[in-house]
Amino acid sequence: MEEFIKPQNLSLSPQQLSVLMPYLVVMTGGLITLLLGVFRKAVNMTVPVAAFSVLTMVLAAYSLFLVWGEPTVSLFNDMMVVDNFSNLFNLIFIVATGLVIVGSNQYLVREGIEHFEYYSLMLFSCLGMMFMASAKDLIVLFIALEIMSIAVYVLVGFKRADTRSNEAALKYFILGGLASAILLYGVALLYGATGSMNIQALAAAVQAGAASNLLFVLGAALVTGGLLFKVATVPFHMWMPDVYQGAPTTVTAFMTTGLKAAAFAAFVRFFMNLGYGADLSSTLYSGLYKVLWVSAIATMLIGNIIALTQKNIKRMLAYSSIAHTGYLIVAILCGGRSEYGYSSVLVYMAGYVVMNIGAFAVVAMLSEKNDRHTNIEDYAGLGFKKPLTGLAMTIFMFSMAGVPPTVGFAGKYLIFLSAVQAGEVLLAVLSVLCSAISAYYYLRVIVFMYMKDPVPGRAMNHTLAPAFVIGISAVITMQLGLFPSVLIEAAKKAAMMF
Amino acid sequence: MAATDVFFYIFSAIGLLFALKVVMGKNPISSAFSLVLVFFCMAANFVLLEAHFIAAMQILVYAGALMVLFVFVIMLLNADVKSLDVGKKPLHYALGGAVCLALMALVVYALVNGTSFSEKAGLSAEKIDSIGGNAQVVSLMMFSDYILPFELASILLLVGIVGSVALAKRRTE
Repeated sequence: MEEFIKPQNLSLSPQQLSVLMPYLVVMTGGLITLLLGVFRKAVNMTVPVAAFSVLTMVLAAYSLFLVWGEPTVSLFNDMMVVDNFSNLFNLIFIVATGLVIVGSNQYLVREGIEHFEYYSLMLFSCLGMMFMASAKDLIVLFIALEIMSIAVYVLVGFKRADTRSNEAALKYFILGGLASAILLYGVALLYGATGSMNIQALAAAVQAGAASNLLFVLGAALVTGGLLFKVATVPFHMWMPDVYQGAPTTVTAFMTTGLKAAAFAAFVRFFMNLGYGADLSSTLYSGLYKVLWVSAIATMLIGNIIALTQKNIKRMLAYSSIAHTGYLIVAILCGGRSEYGYSSVLVYMAGYVVMNIGAFAVVAMLSEKNDRHTNIEDYAGLGFKKPLTGLAMTIFMFSMAGVPPTVGFAGKYLIFLSAVQAGEVLLAVLSVLCSAISAYYYLRVIVFMYMKDPVPGRAMNHTLAPAFVIGISAVITMQLGLFPSVLIEAAKKAAMMF
Repeated sequence: MAATDVFFYIFSAIGLLFALKVVMGKNPISSAFSLVLVFFCMAANFVLLEAHFIAAMQILVYAGALMVLFVFVIMLLNADVKSLDVGKKPLHYALGGAVCLALMALVVYALVNGTSFSEKAGLSAEKIDSIGGNAQVVSLMMFSDYILPFELASILLLVGIVGSVALAKRRTE
C-alpha cells in the first residue's frame, strides 16, 4: 500500500512552484473575474472585469518572463513539463488572449453582449491552451483540450439573439464533441496497447516495436484524426468557415490564433517525442507520413482555392486560416529532417497569431452592429479615409501573403527551406504555388482599400482600444519581419529539447 | 465455457439490443430508458471484469444522475415524435451506415489481431485485493499519480457550469 502514497507527487518544490506561476496566475485571474462579475448589480462590472483580465495577462506574461530560459522542469508525476517549448507557446497564448481581450470590449458593447463571463471564459480557455502545450500525458492533454474547447463553444454562441452565432456554436459543439470522442477512443486504445498514457512511455513502446501492434496503430490513427480535426485540415475543415463567420469577430480572432496554436503545440510535442521524422522506416511512421502528406497538399490547395471566391472578409480569413494550417502541416512533416527542425512551426505560428489578430481587429473595429459591413467591398477607400488603419491592414495582408519584410515572409521562408532540405521538393513547389495563389485574394483587399472610391455614408468609426491592438500587431509584424533572428533563436531553443 | 463467459454474452447481447433501440426508437423517452438499460448491462460487464468500483460509478453517475437529466430535458422540451422527424434520406443513411460499419470492422480487426497490455505493472487482481479493493486503489491513485488531471477536471467542470449559465441565463435588459 505504501508504494501508492507518493507524497512527492502532492508537494511542490520552490522551483516547481515558480515555473507553475504563469498557470496559477491565469487560473486565479479566471476565478477572480467570476467573483468580480457578481458585483454587477450595483454597477456594470464589464469594463472593470475586462481591465482585470488584461492585468492578469500582463502578470502572467511577467511571471513567464521570470522563468524564461530556465531548465526543463517536470511536474506532477511527469504529467506535465515546463520547458522552452511550452514557455514560447505560453507566450503566444498569453499575447493572443491579451490582445483579443483588449480589443473586445467595444465590439461586445456594439453587439449588446457585454457580459463578464466572456472574459472569464477567455482566461480559462487560455489556461487550457497553456496546459495543452505542456501536457506530457494524454489524459492531461485531453482534459486541457476540453477546457479550451468548452469555453470556446460557449464564446462562439455568445450572440444569443443571432441565429448564425447559434448555428455556429451548435455545429462546432457537435463536431468538436465527435472529434474529442475519437481522440479519447484513440487514447484508450493506446493505453490498452502499451499500459501507459505518458508520451515518453509511448515513445519507448514505439522503440520496442509497438508500431507493429494493430491496436497501437489504430489508437495513433484516431489520436491523429482528433488532433487534425482541431487544427481543421482537409477533410476535417467543413465546420470552420460557418463557425468562423457566425462567431463574434473577436472570438473568431481568438479561435484562429489561440486554438490553432494550442492544437499545433500538442501535435508537435506528440510528434517530436515519438521521434517522428528521424526514421521513417517503420509502418507507423510511413503511415503517418502518408496521411500528413496528403492532408497538407489537400489543405493548402482547397483552402487557397476556395478563399479566392469569398466576398465576406471573415469567411475569406477563415479559408485562409485553413490554408495556413496546410503550411504548418508541411512544417511538421519536414521539421524532423531539416536544419531548423520544428522551429519553423513555432516561428510561423507566432507570426500568424500576430498578423491574424491584427487583421481581425480591423474587421471587428470597422464592422457595424450585427456584423454588417464585413464584405471586402466595404473596405473600399479605407486607405485614404483612414490612412493609418489602411497601412496596418496592408501590412497584415502582405504578411499573410508572405511578402518581405514581414514576419509572414520569415515564417514561410523557413517552412519552404525545411521542405527543400528534407528532400520534399514537390511539397515545396506546391506550397510556393499555393502561396502565389493566396497573394490574389490578399492583394484584392489592398486593391479595394487604395484603388476604389469609398462608399458614401460608410462611417468607418475608430475607437481607441482596437486601434491600439491594431497598432501593436502591425508593429510586431514588421519588427519580427525585419529582425526575425530573435524569434528564430527562441524557436530553435524551444524545438531543440527533443 | 466458464460461468463469467456466459454472463458476459448475456449482458452484452441485452446491451447491444437496447443500444440499437436507442438509435432506432421513435420515442425519445423510450430511447432514454433503453440507454439506462445499456448502462446497466455495461456495469454488469465491469463487475465481470472485477472492476466493482467502476460498475458502481457507472450506475450512480450514468444510469442515475445523467439519465435523470436526459429525461428532464426531454420532458421540458416536450418534443413530440413529429418534430424529430427529419425526413427519409436514404443516401445519408446508407453512407452513414457504411462509414460506421467500416469503422467497426476496423476496430474489431484491430482488437482481434492486436495484442493488449494485460495489466498495469504491479497491479494484479491479488494486489488490488491486498490493498483493500478497487475504490481504495482508485482513490490513492487519483490523489497521488493523477492529481493533475483530477484538479484540471475540476476546472473543466467549472468552465462547463459558467458556460451553460452564461448561455442560459435570462438577461435583465
